Amino acid sequence: MSNRIFLPLVIALALAVPFFTANTYFHHLMVLWMLFSLLALSLNVIIGYIGELSFGHAAFFGIGAYTAAIVGMNFGLAGIPGLLLAAVMAGLFGFVIGYVSLRIVGPQFAILTLGFGSIIYTITNYWVDLTRGPMGISNIQPLGLWGEGGVALTGARGYYYLTLFLVIAFAYACHALLNSRTGRAFIATRENAPLAASLGIDVFRIKLLGFVVATAVAGVAGAVYAHYLTVITPDVMSLQYVAALIIMVIVGGRGTIAGPIIGALIYVVLLELLRALGPLRLVIFAALLTASVIFLPGGIVSLWRRLTGEETKPREAAE
Amino acid sequence: MNHGRARCSARPSPDWGEPVDYIVLAQQIANGLVNGMTYVLIATGLTLVFGVLHIINFAHGEFYMLGAFFTYFAAQLLGLDYISAAVVATLAVAALGILANRLFFWPLRREHEFTILLSSLGLALLLTNGGELLFGADPKYVDSPFADSIVQAGQLVVTQQRVLIFVVGAVILLALNLFIRHSRMGKMMRATAQNPEGAALTGVNIRQVYTVTFVLACGLAALAGALVGPTAMIFPTVGSWAVLKGFIVVILGGLGSIPGALIGGLSLGVIEALAGGYISLGFAQAIGYAIIIIVLLWRPQGLFGTARRT
Amino acid sequence: MNAETILSVAGLTKAFGGLTAVKDVDLELNRGEILGVIGPNGAGKTTFFNVIAGSMPPTAGTVHFKGTDCTGMRADRMARLGMTRTFQITSLFPALSVIENVRAATYRFTKTGWISSILRNGAWRDEEAAVDRAAIEALEFVDLAHRADANAEALSYGEQRRLEIAIAIAAKPDLLLLDEPAAGMNPEEGQRLVAMIRGIRDTGISILLVEHHMRVVMGVCDRVAVIDHGEKIADGKPADVVNNPDVIRVYLGREAVNA
Ligand SMILES: Nc1ncnc2c1ncn2[C@@H]1O[C@H](COP(=O)(O)OP(=O)(O)OP(=O)(O)O)[C@@H](O)[C@H]1O
Ligand SMILES: [Mg+2]
Repeated sequence: MSNRIFLPLVIALALAVPFFTANTYFHHLMVLWMLFSLLALSLNVIIGYIGELSFGHAAFFGIGAYTAAIVGMNFGLAGIPGLLLAAVMAGLFGFVIGYVSLRIVGPQFAILTLGFGSIIYTITNYWVDLTRGPMGISNIQPLGLWGEGGVALTGARGYYYLTLFLVIAFAYACHALLNSRTGRAFIATRENAPLAASLGIDVFRIKLLGFVVATAVAGVAGAVYAHYLTVITPDVMSLQYVAALIIMVIVGGRGTIAGPIIGALIYVVLLELLRALGPLRLVIFAALLTASVIFLPGGIVSLWRRLTGEETKPREAAE
Repeated sequence: MNHGRARCSARPSPDWGEPVDYIVLAQQIANGLVNGMTYVLIATGLTLVFGVLHIINFAHGEFYMLGAFFTYFAAQLLGLDYISAAVVATLAVAALGILANRLFFWPLRREHEFTILLSSLGLALLLTNGGELLFGADPKYVDSPFADSIVQAGQLVVTQQRVLIFVVGAVILLALNLFIRHSRMGKMMRATAQNPEGAALTGVNIRQVYTVTFVLACGLAALAGALVGPTAMIFPTVGSWAVLKGFIVVILGGLGSIPGALIGGLSLGVIEALAGGYISLGFAQAIGYAIIIIVLLWRPQGLFGTARRT
Repeated sequence: MNAETILSVAGLTKAFGGLTAVKDVDLELNRGEILGVIGPNGAGKTTFFNVIAGSMPPTAGTVHFKGTDCTGMRADRMARLGMTRTFQITSLFPALSVIENVRAATYRFTKTGWISSILRNGAWRDEEAAVDRAAIEALEFVDLAHRADANAEALSYGEQRRLEIAIAIAAKPDLLLLDEPAAGMNPEEGQRLVAMIRGIRDTGISILLVEHHMRVVMGVCDRVAVIDHGEKIADGKPADVVNNPDVIRVYLGREAVNA
């Protein structure tokens, strides 16, 4: 019930935030937070809902980013069509890779996704004709409503509202998912696959569906990222980003909606606060991941529930 | 992830039109076998930990990195010669294996498999970034008297260091095989692999099995690092390269199978060398992964092992 | 096979390497019937279930369900056709609440997907209401409605076994396979279970029941088949089977004493 008041308040606050300060760097951080939130929410579909670990999620982010950059560059499609194409491309890769790998589950699946992610990363590095190799693509045009010309998004504030909208939309979709037949099948599969199968759920198809949705959304995030930063290098697919996304989901709280968003916030804030520390901050992130996995498996969100004394339902979605 | 490792082997690339140059081919196969032996050493530890303890250790590659760096520092700071430095480094990292087990793996043995996988990912990140902090990000070279002298067999040319890698690798694997087959501890490890609860009931000291398995695995990885160090630059992020190669090999050979690691590692080395020599270096990087996909499409459990299916 | 037959198994065989766990079994089950399958430990009863329900493919033989040849069909397809089962070892969604456990079981007769739930359209609302009704009904049936919001893992053993039955019937199957539902229950719980199984049949669900508790088997089954070493050695009215000398020798000779 408290959600009825709490949620609109949070959204109103999120809408108002850019006006509290004219500091564009602050706006920039807000955009990054929203982009990472979208990515973490998408990875959460895999880790939190279908219950598999993916070590290849950054690759789909990269596919989306490169698709947007390349079609923008070669065909002038820098608007909504570019975003959709990025989603389709990432989702298509997700479908093929999921179709091959999801026949295997558990840690082996995690390693397979790592292998696929590495292939995509390697190819991006070496297929210079298409991707311009390790130097990456620069001067990517800003996001227009429909291709070039017309209204184009420039400035962090515009991108903030776009990404905020995407996060709210996808968070709502995740919320709706949990109250649907499909979502119940996701959770049943995660909790007990043989029992789920005995109730008529096609475990493989359900996992594939979750995987494809997650990868397509990661593709959208990548496309927005490319247009926003106007440069993109293969490094967005590196192990560093894979680890960062996993840290956001696990530290925030897998299987919940608030968790990945909070995880992304922690990541962005700590990254800024600890900038002076150099490599040490990555050590701190690693320690955070390990500590969270061992001492707080439900993530920060579970801490909140523990504090407010609500009954904790481990690994169940926050409603 | 991709550490374009400069190896001091010439890579002549003949035109497609010319007939195959058998000397070049043999040279590439020899280089491939040596690289492959490194992969075998890395993968054997990975597969041992999985086979015996059912743990996928994401941090495995970091022990390879530590092996190389400890060799470097043992030579630089303690003034040891290469061989002694390599032995000290291997032993030191094997001892670190005890610590890693006590802090990260043994306490989590009853937890969900993802908890262990994620905590080992945490350990990997800790070691990589901690390594960068302690050792600096710039590449280092391990000095070895064998690195610059060559061995010639007919028209094949190989550095002594690379011969050393192959010979030491083969001897160590043989010793490991004997240890697992015939020693008391080896039998306990095999019993644990079969059935941990049953093994515990029949008096196997599971805790000791954990310790020994990690000591062996970390020691093998460190040895690989100490051996490869003189043939390539080393840097703190090399661990993720190593663990990826290890994963490719164990997926190829089947997770938990030591013969699989041997055949998988040597094949990967040779295939990469041939692909790198005849097609392109970039392709050599990707081909290992491409092989995994093909193998898994054909035999999802790997060539020798088993994997859970949906 | 006549129209009254819901399940027909012919020559069913399942071998694990050298061990033949199920050997050439023929069995027919009529609509609305409760058929008991009994046999000593390791006789192959669970394997028989697994093969019928599609958890593992048979080595030989055929399975026809509702007139369709379902030999070797996967478990989820069998379930969608209308056959659900419980497991010998307790199998639920332990981290979910009791009501969520049962709601998950409504998958087979629901249709609206993710998109409808995003749009919150009428079809979605009607179906969610139907899901809630079916879930509550199933819980009331096994007398667990008062525990709806508890976590499944917080239930007592007996309650968990009842929850498993609630899950299986919330799927509204035509045929229900129960693998030793009374295992570990005390006599009083066993009596409640007998009444429950009869109640399930009265809603029109046919039942195949594997059970060790003779009191439960004799109390509820219309017909009993006996399996020993994978082979069916008897099939008939409970009273006849009890007096079958073969059965007495391999099975009842031991169990009848304490039944
Ligand atoms: N997956 C399997 N692989 C190999 N052997 C199996 C497998 N499942 C069952 N068996 C063997 O098949 C035989 C029959 O086992 P099953 O579980 O079907 O017996 P059961 O009648 O259900 O026994 P219980 O009364 O103890 O439940 C046993 O010898 C068992 O060891
Ligand atoms: Mg059984």
